[in-house]
Amino acid sequence: MTVVAQEAAPHDWLNRMASAVQSTNYEGTVIRLQNGKVEALKVAHSVVDGVVREKVITQEGNGLEIIRHGNEVQCILPDKKSVLVEEWDDQSTLFSTLPSSDIRFGNEYDVSVVRRERIAGRKAVLLAIRPHDGFRYGHRIWLDIETGFPLQTKLVGDDGEAIEQIKFADIIIDKEIHASALAPSIDTENFRWFTQPRRSITPTIESPWSSDDLPSGFRAVSAYDEKLPGRESPVTHILYSDGLANVSVFVELANENKIAQRSRVGASHSFSIEIGGYQVTAVGEVPAATVEQIASSMQRK
Amino acid sequence: MNDGIKMQVSAFVDGEWPQNEAELLLRRLCQDRDLRQQAAEYLAMGRVMRGERTVAGISMLRERISAALDDKAMQAEFDVAATERPRYFRPVVGVGIAATVALAALLGLQQMSNVPDADPASGSQTVADIVEDSYTVPEQDDDQLREYFLRHSATSAYFGANSINARLVTLQLREDVLLDSETAEQPVDEDGEKADSTDVVDSQGP
Repeated sequence: MTVVAQEAAPHDWLNRMASAVQSTNYEGTVIRLQNGKVEALKVAHSVVDGVVREKVITQEGNGLEIIRHGNEVQCILPDKKSVLVEEWDDQSTLFSTLPSSDIRFGNEYDVSVVRRERIAGRKAVLLAIRPHDGFRYGHRIWLDIETGFPLQTKLVGDDGEAIEQIKFADIIIDKEIHASALAPSIDTENFRWFTQPRRSITPTIESPWSSDDLPSGFRAVSAYDEKLPGRESPVTHILYSDGLANVSVFVELANENKIAQRSRVGASHSFSIEIGGYQVTAVGEVPAATVEQIASSMQRK
Repeated sequence: MNDGIKMQVSAFVDGEWPQNEAELLLRRLCQDRDLRQQAAEYLAMGRVMRGERTVAGISMLRERISAALDDKAMQAEFDVAATERPRYFRPVVGVGIAATVALAALLGLQQMSNVPDADPASGSQTVADIVEDSYTVPEQDDDQLREYFLRHSATSAYFGANSINARLVTLQLREDVLLDSETAEQPVDEDGEKADSTDVVDSQGP
């Protein structure tokens, strides 16, 4: 395995990782660092016959539990005696970090194997994904040499500072996860349950909206007309990707409710602008300048 | 950072580092941001291992280091024990469900924060012009924008680009939907049903 670790090309590692996050059973403690804060989560994850089961328990505050069984996800809020049920109509898992191979990045990043380290007591190889410009973030990924599973990930800004880090403090990989480890640890019998309806999406063959000045490497990968809560008319939703970073553009008729021009959630930014009577808003896990350029460059054909 | 210094930090955090050597380590912690982060990690790990939900030793560590440096920013760096989360969202009119909670205690990150509009006189902005530090955290309703973040996260996940960040942000924002609803709760009838004008369906039990 050591020889493989030394000789494998960066993209081979990414392929191993893509496979590992979909098939690996694991149980451990995750530490999340962002904005100088440190948070911890206990996680257990198993895949049996292609069905993902997952449990995440927060170690802070109110002890939120997230239970996933296939596409159904329950968020248990013990202090409020409530459960929020969602459908995740995708095969993604909590700890995947890269897009599927069919849209994986093109020429906007360099990928390299940096060095070997130990993470959570396991031998790991550090991969660096460095963008060529400031319109996207960089990534550092520490992959378990034995399995390809990501033991640590870091999102890096163009100043080299870590925007966010996720790392396992301890992990057991590929052991059989007992059903009890994946079951709620809280009796929810008298809890109130809330169900989030499935999304209503109408695929659009070709959107009347497009950008005439996308940052290098970004292209449209999907377009939908989507019905959002509280709206009478559908919203056009176009997803742009450079193969790694994604930006959504939402277009709807402008109304009296003005959206904040700039905002952010975690590493995600948004920029909103009115164009020809339409409210155009770009959202994505990219620097603020990227969403601003994309939203500002949208035009109706 | 080498393993030797990591061991020192770990021992220091556990209270097992000799007092006569602690001062040297404290000075090093004052000067080394990565090392302080490492110390914070050890504290979090120890807390998890002990099943604690509070950080008994964090205030002592913070005080010792801040006393050595009197550095407010560094104090914030160690502020890992937040139990109250800020509310940046206000109730959604017409949303009639009950509940909920503080997931930000899990995440410890900022909610949706808005950025002041750019000065029109400043001309077009470049990547370097937009500085993270310029962000502020106003209080305002922006359910539309929140929905955009959620839809973006879900669609990105569909294409496989589902980072843990995106997923946790999704959950965090979902939780806010519930939180918003709490203050706008409508009366519940005898069957636990209510006049529901929301997109989130409430029920009793699975």
